[in-house]
Amino acid sequence: MYDQAELGAAVDQNATKISARNVQVYYGDTHAIKDVNVEIDAKAVTAFIGPSGCGKSTFLRCINRMNDTIDVCRVKGDILIDGEDIYDKRVDPVQLRAKVGMVFQKPNPFPKSIYDNIAYGPRIHGLAKNKADLDEIVEKSLRRGAIWDEVKDRLHAPGTGLSGGQQQRLCIARAVATEPEVLLMDEPCSALDPIATAQVEELIDELRHQYSVVIVTHSMQQAARVSQKTAFFHLGNLVEFGDTSQIFTNPKDERTESYITGRIG
Amino acid sequence: MTDASLPTDGAKPQSGSLTTLDARTKKRNAAEKRFRAYGVAAIATGITFLFVLLFAILTSGLGAFQQTFLTVPVYLDEAKLDKKGNRNIDDIKKVSTFGYNPLIQKAVLAEVQKAGIETPLTKSKEMKALISASAAGQVRAAVIENPALIGQTVEFKFLASSRVDGYLKDRVKREHLARDKNIDAEHLDIVDGLLEAGVVAKTFNPAFIFGADASESRAEQAGIGVSMLGSLFMMFVVLFLALPLGVAASIYLEEFAPKNRLTDLIEVNISNLAAVPSIVFGILGLAVFIQFMHLPQSAPLVGGLVLTLMTLPTIIISTRASLKSVPPSIRDAALGVGASKMQSVFHHVLPLAAPGILTGTIIGLAQALGETAPLLLIGMVGYIASNAPDGIASGLLDPNSAMPAQIYEWAKRADPAYYERAWGGIIILLIFLISMNTLAVILRRRFERRW
Repeated sequence: MYDQAELGAAVDQNATKISARNVQVYYGDTHAIKDVNVEIDAKAVTAFIGPSGCGKSTFLRCINRMNDTIDVCRVKGDILIDGEDIYDKRVDPVQLRAKVGMVFQKPNPFPKSIYDNIAYGPRIHGLAKNKADLDEIVEKSLRRGAIWDEVKDRLHAPGTGLSGGQQQRLCIARAVATEPEVLLMDEPCSALDPIATAQVEELIDELRHQYSVVIVTHSMQQAARVSQKTAFFHLGNLVEFGDTSQIFTNPKDERTESYITGRIG
Repeated sequence: MTDASLPTDGAKPQSGSLTTLDARTKKRNAAEKRFRAYGVAAIATGITFLFVLLFAILTSGLGAFQQTFLTVPVYLDEAKLDKKGNRNIDDIKKVSTFGYNPLIQKAVLAEVQKAGIETPLTKSKEMKALISASAAGQVRAAVIENPALIGQTVEFKFLASSRVDGYLKDRVKREHLARDKNIDAEHLDIVDGLLEAGVVAKTFNPAFIFGADASESRAEQAGIGVSMLGSLFMMFVVLFLALPLGVAASIYLEEFAPKNRLTDLIEVNISNLAAVPSIVFGILGLAVFIQFMHLPQSAPLVGGLVLTLMTLPTIIISTRASLKSVPPSIRDAALGVGASKMQSVFHHVLPLAAPGILTGTIIGLAQALGETAPLLLIGMVGYIASNAPDGIASGLLDPNSAMPAQIYEWAKRADPAYYERAWGGIIILLIFLISMNTLAVILRRRFERRW
């Protein structure tokens, strides 16, 4: 603990939202994440890139402890958000997940109305005192998800009836409805067509002003377009981490260069 | 692959024409045709058997819903029923059904003579074979309820005896009368005459659907109603125990329990329990509920408990299957917005699994409804003389039978009239089962269509 406090003081507190220290993840006997250290900036978009199976999604899921639901998964090392260890025994993952929202690879709206999709989080966390409050939260979240204009007339239609891109923006709106500080996105555009992808990317750029966004992506162009920082994972190792412009123009590591030029992956 | 053998002449096919079938293709097509024929044959056989079954059930069983009645005016003689003439209810009750029989027989003989039927039978006692033994009880009950009837002539609708009923339904034939001790040709002549005179008639008999079972010698009086109530109370017990227990167990096992040796063992054993013969559950019920816990014998409560044990594995298996079929992305979505495990299960997973759970439960209930074997061992099969229960407690604790047990009991009895009633009971049981399965289908469709 003493060490961590000192390390925490060494970095710029204002700029760092999440810091991982010597994180190891095991799936049973498989060592999926090997000794990852990374500092993720507040109010910026950080992209995780790397070939399939390199552990980027696994690492992302460690940040809001979604891996807790997998029996065989063990996490070692520390992940700190605002200097607090999220794997501390006193931390309730439910509370953590309200603070660290998540958007999944496949749009997964609840099979309920659009309104209920957004209102679910605020309801279970008691964020709204009355119906008017809740209405306001729903509208605000849908506006932030850049989907308000498309659905404002059919809030009580099922969320599963929307198109794929709309569903994904609905899921983003749902994630921001609980007022999180960090937004984790696990390949949010992989199931979308180019137009919907462009809309979601635009939205991510907007979200950066209020949230710390971490995005896992298979598309290097996407990482280059939306992120400020990029981390390259390979075989469970964090190979390189730095400014996006630097990673894509002047990678220091040979593996990073091979990957972004398409020779491995 | 094809580089070396590019056709030099474009018009000539390399390997035979596409319009002629080669031997292999012919063989394959023939095999497919044969297989389709087998399939059609199998389905046709199945449908034929179904129709044979339905035809057999309906032809044998529909007769049970009709019954032969005699409508006779009976003079309620004061000299016989109330000798003191003071209409004291206690004195009237002292006259047993034996006191009523002569009055009824006399009334029937009067009808026979009025209709002008020529018959060697001139004694009123000889009319006994025509009327159900239940007639005297019927008149006595009416008199006790309203003593003012004494001294008047009152019209009663009596059940005909099961032989007369059988004669009208073609079950009793004149050529077999030599072997029949209960009725002879003279009586049947009378029946023919009374039929013409309108005294004897075959009408719909609601008592078969709503009435109680009767003793071996009164087939015409027996009904399935009380055992239907027995089945109903058992189903309530099963529903209120098996559904919550089964659903809770499945949710725990599926969503919360760690995956280890112990839960694997439990899982295997649940599947095994589903395949255990139901009579084993009957023995278990006898040992645990009756011999150890001293619950009353023949009680629908015990029957319900036994059937609960039998239904639980079915409900658990179908509930787990429907929980499993809810996509994990829904669980992730709920956990992702900060729902607890339990919230994600109860707010999202369970509602989506509900149609499957309901279907499984109803199928399980239908199975339990048709189960006879375990009831044998806890005393619910046999002639259980009981009337309709007058409340929930008596419904659960008073001796009763159940529909399939009643059918089994009737099929076992000697009088062929009971054979017909067994088929009739099967019709009613099948109506229940078909409606339950239809309900399951409707519920599933309805819930699934919503989103």
